[in-house]
Amino acid sequence: MRALSLVGAAVVSMALFVRAETPATAPSPRLPPVPSPSIGCDPCPLAPPALPPPTPVDDPTLPPLPARSPRNANYTIDARLDAERHTIQGSLILEWRNTTGQAQDTLPFHLYWNAFRNTRSTSARGEGRRAARITRGPDATRGFGYMQIESVRELSGGAETDLTPSLRYVQPDDANADDRTVAEVHTPSPIAPDATARFKIDWTSQMPYGDVGRSGWVHDYHFVAQWFPKIGVFWKGAWNAHQFHPFSEFFSDYGVYDVRLTVPQGYILGATGAMKNAVDNSDGTRTFHFHQDDVHDFAWVASRRMGEVRARFDETGFHPVDIRLLIQPEHSHLSARYVEATKIALRSYGTWSAPYPYDQVTVVDPAWTSASGGMEYPTLFTGGASVFSPRALQSPESVTIHECGHQFWYLLVGTNEFEEAWLDEGINSYHDEKAAQIALGPEGWGKRYFGMLAAGRGSRAPIPVIAPGVWLRRGDSEVAGLRKSGAFDAMARPTWGYRNADSYTVNAYTKPALSLQTLEGLVGDQVMTRILRTYARRYRFAHPTTEDFIAVVNEVAGQDYRWFFDQTWFSAEECDYAIEVRNRPARALAGYAEGPDGRPVLVTSAREEGHGKDARTFDSEVIVRRLGGVRLPVEIRVQFTDGRVVYETWDGQYRWTRFRYPGARVRAAEVDPFGKIAVDIDPGNNSWADNAPIAQRAASKWAMRWMFWLQNFLELHTLLG
Amino acid sequence: MILDAARRGLRRAGALWGLVAFLLLVNLATAAILAIPLAARLRDDLANHAAADNMLAGFDYPWWSAWSDARPETTFGPDILGAGFAFKNLDLLLRGRLPAGLFTMPDPERPEERGTPFDPAVLALGVAYLVLQVFLSGGVIAALRAPQPDWTVRGLLHGSGFYFGRLLRLALLILLVDAVVFALYAPFARWADVQAREAVSERTAIVWMLGRHALLLLALIAVNMLSSYARVLIVLEERSSALLALLSAGALCLGSFFRTFGHVLLMTGLAVVGLLLWSVLDGHWTTTGYKTQIVTFLLLEGLVFVRLFFRVATLGGQVTLARRLAGGPAEPA
Repeated sequence: MRALSLVGAAVVSMALFVRAETPATAPSPRLPPVPSPSIGCDPCPLAPPALPPPTPVDDPTLPPLPARSPRNANYTIDARLDAERHTIQGSLILEWRNTTGQAQDTLPFHLYWNAFRNTRSTSARGEGRRAARITRGPDATRGFGYMQIESVRELSGGAETDLTPSLRYVQPDDANADDRTVAEVHTPSPIAPDATARFKIDWTSQMPYGDVGRSGWVHDYHFVAQWFPKIGVFWKGAWNAHQFHPFSEFFSDYGVYDVRLTVPQGYILGATGAMKNAVDNSDGTRTFHFHQDDVHDFAWVASRRMGEVRARFDETGFHPVDIRLLIQPEHSHLSARYVEATKIALRSYGTWSAPYPYDQVTVVDPAWTSASGGMEYPTLFTGGASVFSPRALQSPESVTIHECGHQFWYLLVGTNEFEEAWLDEGINSYHDEKAAQIALGPEGWGKRYFGMLAAGRGSRAPIPVIAPGVWLRRGDSEVAGLRKSGAFDAMARPTWGYRNADSYTVNAYTKPALSLQTLEGLVGDQVMTRILRTYARRYRFAHPTTEDFIAVVNEVAGQDYRWFFDQTWFSAEECDYAIEVRNRPARALAGYAEGPDGRPVLVTSAREEGHGKDARTFDSEVIVRRLGGVRLPVEIRVQFTDGRVVYETWDGQYRWTRFRYPGARVRAAEVDPFGKIAVDIDPGNNSWADNAPIAQRAASKWAMRWMFWLQNFLELHTLLG
Repeated sequence: MILDAARRGLRRAGALWGLVAFLLLVNLATAAILAIPLAARLRDDLANHAAADNMLAGFDYPWWSAWSDARPETTFGPDILGAGFAFKNLDLLLRGRLPAGLFTMPDPERPEERGTPFDPAVLALGVAYLVLQVFLSGGVIAALRAPQPDWTVRGLLHGSGFYFGRLLRLALLILLVDAVVFALYAPFARWADVQAREAVSERTAIVWMLGRHALLLLALIAVNMLSSYARVLIVLEERSSALLALLSAGALCLGSFFRTFGHVLLMTGLAVVGLLLWSVLDGHWTTTGYKTQIVTFLLLEGLVFVRLFFRVATLGGQVTLARRLAGGPAEPA
């Protein structure tokens, strides 16, 4: 009896302790110490909270918003569209103020449409994602286009200096002499710092057919973007004017755009900015006058077929915005959804960064097979819809929220999309997932059927079928891409430095979005919101860099998170945590134990306790492993069969750690129970549960459903024999 | 005549419900060959994962996403849920992936790719099932042709074995016809896709896309009708030449096209209505534990039974029509 009491006392005393066991090896000296993780989250990333109220424009706790942009690249443009030949003749006056701090006599210009000039352009030499090619039939060459500068003159006083002879095509990225997407001109006299130079440029353009590039025509639908000679940006002490690459986007300075566009009468026209007036001309054309201050680009669309819907976003705490939706007739039943999604974006992004300051935004529903969909331009963006668009699939909502979101991350904060694509696409993707989940709930899973043999851009299979009971939470659909292509490249690379299109997509969109979701999990939603508000306000109308963003994170969070970005943004390492549990029957005490008088007493038992099916006492251990190279602090939740729940933390530095629970049996354990580590490429191995019967039932349930599919699949063969 | 043939076919199938149940058992047993290993694999992969709880209550997409990435050829995914199984199978058929990917139409811009990976075991099982059904069809038709429909397993197998050689030759001929259909269809599909791509409106494009799919489906149904009548003639008239039986079936169908095709379309339409009703039931029922799984199993097998029932009923109606159109002796009422 006494021996049994001693055994019981020993077991109980051991059961009172929970001990983590880690080997005595010091963490790698290359990485600085990481903060201790906190337990829980308020709120948790998997269930974002309701939208907080917007901050006042003059919130004293945040950086002040600038009243206007630097306006160092102002364009006055006159252009005429020949809708039959799909050509544009244009003339522009560029007022360029030298803010470089140095005298400049060489000015680079982007001539983006030369990417479609022929099959030897840099863009065409890529994977063919947006490359013109010869097709069959009478329209075999319609996919090609160009931008030809007819003349460049410097206007000084009343005189004009012809700079055209100085024009040279340059290829700063790949020395491809066939690429003409960047040209330089030289001024006879340097332009002094802070001086303003005026240039008059005349050009002609051939629009490519619109099923490949973002610009192009399809029937009477003309989407016109990157369409005028655009001066490069002087950035980080040098001219930054990259060629157009297969995956790259754009980068330009802020200014005032005053644009007159002449198109055939009967065309509906949408553009950046507000329409001042429209005048009918005697030659059967109509000239539209648009104006917008403080933007860095100008795009427009003209078509006979588009319908027009007007709405207004007017909510407390936000600048009122007129919404103009230009929609294809067959999608008119989706108008309300387009408008609502635009409002969701204006509301959400305005809350998380700073309110949209412009008076209007134009939403364009692209024409069938046009590749212009899903793209952003200042105060104008394109969505994308299908005739059959069940709400559960959140289309066109998701693309609308994303592209409207670019008004905040791309337009108001003008990052370099060539070199740091993640700063606009990644932050935007992080926000659009969050906005959609808050406003629309989880997204359904569906598949579209009976489409074309060749899946081209701008076209979708017509019939959507939604899988009942399958819902995607924030980030769920992105993890697969990260798993497939995340290890190809470090995220922080220029767009033309990625291995392929998949790697670009993962590193520009997926990985930064998931890593920001992870950062939100680490610092908390309120701090994350403050980080982005601070960043958005401090760098409105500016060209911040990744380092600027990291500096804001560290400033607002109050600690150095460089270690986080080193592992996620500047590395190609993967993040993968896994957990396993071992429940073993407790070892019965046999041997010498301490007796009541303090002297050793020999303890024996007829049989060891805990053996066989009726074992009542268990010793358990939980092992958490870090399978990937990314080291992040994690939380572990352990639930015991007696109902107790224990939370542990681990800094994730070594490859594994172990938690022992003598006298207890683990029922379930999970690493990252709150879903903070969104970059984990395999959330499925993050949990363990003592659930063999449940696994059996789940397996039989799904095997039966699959068997049903197979039975029908087999029976379908009788149609062929 | 169409309605009468349909009625008689349904009545005969009703009288032979045991035969239909036997066919269901064959279908179930064939599918179980792969379903049982899948169940074991799922059990092992879900064991000790919290995903098991999620999969029991619903569908754990993150777990499935990682699981299927490790198995690119898997056919287990959310696209088989609800009525999705029918769309998935129809899509596979119309893309020429049945049987065994013989008629696959590649993306014309990526001709080297042969479509998404597909479990070769499933494809092989499909071929085996096709041969098995060719074998059984002789016995089924023999049972249907009897004045008083009746059957025994022994009688079914006897009849199946007796006609198998001819029916197998016929099946090969029909596969050849299917190959011709797909070969003719592929350039038409590319041309229709060009029309769809060049359409001004998505609505017009949808008409082109769905239209060409519908046309292929109708063509395959017509070839199947030809095959069915050829089989009926082989059994009814004890034809020894599969080719001649096929030609006779062609003449019979062409000579009374609206009746023969109308009958097939009517039966197909009834089967689709059955599928829609089933979808409504399936959508309102949640499967979790073993009790609900038993009910779900009955529901699922009920639909397969109905499908097989309609196949037998269609054959029964075709036996009636073949007799009438060939001017043979009248059937008993």
